[in-house]
Order: sequence, then structure tokens, then C-alpha cells
Amino acid sequence: MSLAEPAALPVAASAAPRLHVLKRFTSSFKVSLPAYLLLLPSLAFLALFTYGAMGRVFVDALYQRATPKAPVRFVGLDNVSAVLADPAFTGAVVNNLIYAVGTAIPSIGLALLFALALSRTNAVTSALRAALFLPVLIPMVAASALFLFIFLPNVGLLDYYIGRMLPVLPNWLGDPDIALTAIMVITIWKNAGYYMLFFLAGLQAVPEDVMEAAHLDGAGPFQRLRYIILPELKPTFLFVTVIATLNAVTQVDHVFVLTQGGPSNSTNLVLFYIYQQAVEHYDVGKASAATLLTLAALMGLTALSFRTLANREGGP
Amino acid sequence: MLFSRRLVLGLAMAGTLAGALAFPAMADGPTEIDLFFPVPVDGKLARDMGTMIKEFNEGHPNIKATAVYTGSYDDTLIKTRAAIKAGKPPSAVIMSANFLLDMQIENELTNLDSLIAADGTTKDQFLGQFFPALQGNAVINRSVYGVPFHNSTPLLYINADQAKEAGLDPNKPPQTWAELTDWAKKLTKREGDKVTRWGISIPCAYDYCGWMMETLTMSNGGRYYNEEFGGEVYYDTPSMLGALTWWNDLVAKHKVHPPGATPGPAVSTSFISGNAAMIMLSTGSLTYVRDNAKFNYKVAFIPRNVRNAVPIGGASLIIPAGLEADKQKAAWTLIKWMTSPEKSGWWSRATGYFAPNMAAYKTPDMVEFLNKNPDAKTAVEQLDVAKPWFATYKTVPVRKNLEDEVMLVLNGKKQPKEALAAAQKAADETLKPYNAETSLKLP
Repeated sequence: MSLAEPAALPVAASAAPRLHVLKRFTSSFKVSLPAYLLLLPSLAFLALFTYGAMGRVFVDALYQRATPKAPVRFVGLDNVSAVLADPAFTGAVVNNLIYAVGTAIPSIGLALLFALALSRTNAVTSALRAALFLPVLIPMVAASALFLFIFLPNVGLLDYYIGRMLPVLPNWLGDPDIALTAIMVITIWKNAGYYMLFFLAGLQAVPEDVMEAAHLDGAGPFQRLRYIILPELKPTFLFVTVIATLNAVTQVDHVFVLTQGGPSNSTNLVLFYIYQQAVEHYDVGKASAATLLTLAALMGLTALSFRTLANREGGP
Repeated sequence: MLFSRRLVLGLAMAGTLAGALAFPAMADGPTEIDLFFPVPVDGKLARDMGTMIKEFNEGHPNIKATAVYTGSYDDTLIKTRAAIKAGKPPSAVIMSANFLLDMQIENELTNLDSLIAADGTTKDQFLGQFFPALQGNAVINRSVYGVPFHNSTPLLYINADQAKEAGLDPNKPPQTWAELTDWAKKLTKREGDKVTRWGISIPCAYDYCGWMMETLTMSNGGRYYNEEFGGEVYYDTPSMLGALTWWNDLVAKHKVHPPGATPGPAVSTSFISGNAAMIMLSTGSLTYVRDNAKFNYKVAFIPRNVRNAVPIGGASLIIPAGLEADKQKAAWTLIKWMTSPEKSGWWSRATGYFAPNMAAYKTPDMVEFLNKNPDAKTAVEQLDVAKPWFATYKTVPVRKNLEDEVMLVLNGKKQPKEALAAAQKAADETLKPYNAETSLKLP
């Protein structure tokens, strides 16, 4: 595979274009050989730990054993259909969709709000930016352990303050109707500050002269936001949306720490489902099949968004 | 020349890598063994384990044991299985006692019978050292697969100060469900509709919930699973229905138990903070309660409806399958040393679990400790009525089939009867492959 790549290198492109294909190939290969040797160590590690593992998942997804003592046998796509027919998996997908939308929109909205409010740099905004960025610095596992105490029924921080006003104290993590929302709140708290950074960077790129011109033309703050700032921030929006979606699928540390997917599977997300299949059910075939499905969905989504991103940037 | 310099550089890097990837040379000297150990309760245990292994190595110059911390019980199972798959199993593991059957079904355990025979003892003599209640989880098909290391039973913890205040005598703790319900009603404090202190709290998170359901079902005369065969559970039975209905009544009818599923740490915290007057928790929490409670507390047997009976919990030492003979022997030496009366007693005092080795309670240190902390006796006395912890094919998913439904009931989303029927159906489905190979494989 790696042998086919030299053609893509700029060095190769500048080599004599009209030579015989094979000759061109060997000459370009000679030129880039040292580069490959230098890349070899990282390629070896990538192959071992990334592509190797992916290949293994692909193979494992095709095998299954009928009974515990029976040997594994090739079953084709049976694992995939078994995963799709599993109500726990469809439940996890639905939860994950709710979770993705419910975390991405509020955290992006908050991030934009923070960035707009704190776009000018002075001592106060710097301090506020640092404060808003703080949750990003706390590892998710540590943050979840903190929230475990905040959400403790009756005696936690939340119940201590808010609980006084409510007639019945909610069991934040123990009630299937509330638990997923509680998990989403943590994610929003954790990620909004991170996305704010991207919007702050994006705001720096809004051309000063256009803003001034609009100002002179009598455009109010809202009109400037609507017609200049937001259109300029479109690439940032797209990028942050992709990151937020990926986070919604790959970050499940708080589910591990706080709820283990419960109560009654109400906070079970796709990645946690895969973990359960692999570890609790000890069903490598089904876990691999679910991994493949997730990977395919994520890659499709990413490809789609980056193509849109490229189109926008390439356009006039 | 640039080219050759690059080439040399590249080769040098590749060389370093190859060196790093090559296996370290085999060294002569003491047999090196790894012990995987989880810390299910609190962080101090890791230090105690280090002390213990150091002492072992000093007393056994031809064995060099290393203790490897592997997280929770579940994590330890994952890591052990990963190591076995990679062909480098650890020599000994402290494994949650109810995972042994599943591991035996998957051929991941060493049968310890031959090691016991090689010592010149019989199986009965060897097992006779341990409390009878612990043997069920260590013996599978009449062969020994695990050695009990630290164990627990559920206990009823009572805030004695609050009981006195409510006119109840903490020295005569509730013995039946009826008495417990009565106590809980008297201990619950309300301001209007709002409860400011709960009479009783029973934990329900994955793992704990199943254990508590087994506790209540057993006190109601029932069984959770077939102790002799890993393919059956008894969820849709009158005894379990009674257990879940009573638990649900405490929540929904009497309103003396907090609604929803409450994890273990939340239950112990609300007890410590005086927010729950009585709780059911493992003996493993006793040291924590003893160190943190700023009030007088009492521990008592789990009350009965039909009979006094509780499941055991805790962990056993196992030797994974596929080890070299010398490592197996060294691991066996370590296991026997760790489960000896002295070490067993020392570990019990450090952790709050009880010592599985009966002789541990005759050592002078232990006698002195029990005189100072009479509450530690209750767990040992309750062992007379203890029975094995549920263990089936795919223990965890089968347990979860029940727990998900129990959580729905405690949240008021399902009635006990239909919840248990659904749990039974789901569990039967999970157990199907094993039954297809055993009970339903007919000539």
C-alpha cells in the first residue's frame, strides 16, 4: 500500500512527467526512499496498533461460536444483523442521537455566546476565558467523580441548594427519565469552553474593514452579527460540529463512572454497548460488528462534513 | 553525502525500534510471578497488598512475586482474559467469587485438585479450613477452582442515636421484614410531603442491585439461581416476587425508602450524613462506617420474612489456565501463604472483609481485635446462614437482565410481576447457548 503513495508526494509530481510509468515510479521511489525509511518506525507502529487492530476487528466481526464450547466459525454478516436486531443496540443508538444533538447544540451555542462576549482582550475577559476553559483541563474521569458527589441524592451539592425549592428531590442519576440529561449537562459543561476557543480564533479572522464599513453604513450590532460575523464563522461552525459529534460518540468516560449505562439502559451509549458486548457478554463477534457499524457511520459523517467544508472554503 | 546520512539515520532508528520490540532475555534465578489484584473498596488496600507481597518475597527467596493493581472486579476479569488471550496469563488473580463458574465454562481456570493432592492433603481437608458457606463458589463439578481470600455478607446498619430518639431500642434490632418496615416508618422524618430523613435505604446499581435482590429473595425463602447448574435462574418465582414487591412497597406505599436506583457509595454517604437511618450494605463497608460515623451505630443480621439467609460476596484466589509448571507451583505457594490463618486475619483487619479461614479467628491478634470491635463479629456469625453468591453462565449479563427491570420498578415505571416476567424471559435468552450445549443437548 505504502509503495503506491510516492506518486502523491510533491517531489514525485515535479519529476520528469513524460517518462515511462515504471521508470518514473522507480526514480521517484529512489528520491523518496530516505523519507520512507524515516517514516518506517511510525508506519510500523501505525500498522501494529491502528490498522492491525482495525483489520482484526473486521475479521472478528465475521466469526461467532454457536455454544460456549463450540469452536468459532465463519458466519458472514450474521453478527451485524444480530447487533441490528438487538433492542439494546437500537436503544443505545437512539440515546446517542439524543445525546449528540442535546450536547452539540447547547455547547456550541454557549461557546459562541462566550466567544462573542469575550472577543476583546483585556484583563477581565482573559480571566473569564480562563475560568470558562477550566473544565477542559479536568480529565473527564475526574470531572465525573466530582459530579458523582454533586448529583448524590439528598446529600449532594445540587440537592442541598436546588432540592430545597423542589417538592420531591429527584434522584439525578437513578431515574431513567433524568439520568441522560444529567450526563448531557456534564458534557456541555466540559466542552463549551473548548469550543469557545475555536470561535475566538474564528472571530479574529472576521475582516476589520468589512466590519467598519458596515458600521459606517449604519448596521446595528444585530445586523453585523447576522450578516457578517455568522457567515464568516461558517467554517468554524462546521468544524466544531464535527468535533462535537465525534465527542458524542467517543467520550463515554462519565457513563463508565456515573451510571454504567443505567438505570435500565437509559444512559447506554453506543461505545458503552460495545464495551458491554466485549467484556460482559464476552461476545467478540458482536462487539466487533457494532464497532464496524459505528466506525462506518463516523467515517461517513466526517467525510461528508469535510467535503462540505472544502467546498465552502474553495468557493468564491 | 546527504543520502547516505539519511539512510544511516533511518537504519539507526529502525534498529532502535527492533531492539525495543525484541523480547527481554530470560533470566535465571527466582521464579517470577504476577498477582493481579483489584481494589473494590478503597485506595488504602493497594498499600496493604504491597506490604503483604513484600513480606512473602522476603520469606520465599526462590519466588519473586509482583502485585499488579488491576482496578475493579470487572476490570480485573477483563485484564485477566486479555492476558490469557495474549498467551501471557498472570500466575494468580484475586477474582470476584461469582466469576469463577463463567471462567471455568470458558476453560480459563486451572483445576487445583492435583496441586492439593501433591501436598498430600485431601480436598475435604483443604476445603475444611474455610467457612462452609464459601465453598459453593470455589468448587465446580466437585473440583476446586478457587481459594476464598476475602469475603463479605450483607448487613443491616442502624443509626443507634436516631433509633433511640424515635423510641426504638437499638440493642434489639428488627428481626423480620414486618419489624423492619415498622422501624423504617418510625425513623422516617417528614416536613409536609417532603422527606428529610429516610427510614431505610438499600443500594441498587449494577452489581449491588443483583446482590441485594439475592439477599431479599433468600430471606424470603427463595433461591436466585440453580447452585448446581449454571444454566438456570429463578426470577419469575413467588419468593422473588415477594422480595421485589416488599422493596417496592417501602418506596411507593410506605414512602420510607428513597425512590429510584441508588448506588452503594450514595447509600453509605447518606447513612454517614444522617440522611438515612438504616441501610443494607456489605460487610466490606464496615471499616468505612467505623472510621466516618460521628454517631453510635449498630450492625445486625438481614431481617427475614421466611428464613434467615444471605449470599456471600467477595473474592477468591485463582490460577489461570495455560501456565508453565514452575509458575503454577510458585503461585500455589503464594496462594496457600495468603490464605493462611495469620495472613487471612491480618488482611481482614486491614479491610473489613471477614477472613475465610476459620482458624484466623483463633489467632491472638484476631481475638483482641474482635474484643475491641464487636461489630465485626456480626458478619462472621451471619455466616452460619450464608449461601453461595449467584454464578451462572455469563453471570454479568444474566444479572443485568434482572437489575434493569428492578430499576424500572423502583422508579415506578413497572409493576413487580411484569418486571420479573420480563427479566426471566431476557435471562433465559442469555442462557440459551449454554443450555443448548448442556441441558437441552439430548441423545
